[in-house]
Amino acid sequence: MIVDQYLNIKLTNVSVVNKDKYPQLTSLKNCFIRGSVVRYVQINPNDVDTELLQDATRKEYSPVAGGEK
Amino acid sequence: MASTLSEWTSKNITILTCDGRLITGTLLGYDQLQNLILSKSYEMVYSIDVPPEKVELGLSVVRGDNVAVVGEKEEEGGEEEGDVRAEPIGAIVQNVT
Repeated sequence: MIVDQYLNIKLTNVSVVNKDKYPQLTSLKNCFIRGSVVRYVQINPNDVDTELLQDATRKEYSPVAGGEK
Repeated sequence: MASTLSEWTSKNITILTCDGRLITGTLLGYDQLQNLILSKSYEMVYSIDVPPEKVELGLSVVRGDNVAVVGEKEEEGGEEEGDVRAEPIGAIVQNVT
């Protein structure tokens, strides 16, 4: 998975969640999703380390640490 | 590493437009706004009652605003298109305030 500044998302090894209703794209393996059409990105909570994320953003925006970087 | 369409140039891709249409073709060119140039393109029109209909479009330029998803088309996927019945994909619903 790759994300850029516009939140365009490139996914590898994708699968369709509701295959019965939307079988049209089941053959796709890799796809690019335009950021402008994305509403939500659902992530399994177990895969997200909020502590780590919070620390990362704190580091980035704190005037001292950000300046030193 | 930026997410880019470069690895799909001259490959067969399927795009899903914001109004829910599926257009397949060979990617000739693109830019950073996802404006796309497709050659030998066609639209597949799916419905519940009849088999999918293939509408030939030839060379087409799709404006990036209308692009929702770009997918790499699997080569062997061609045969199973024959008898897939599906209700049309709905349009993107935008939250405009």
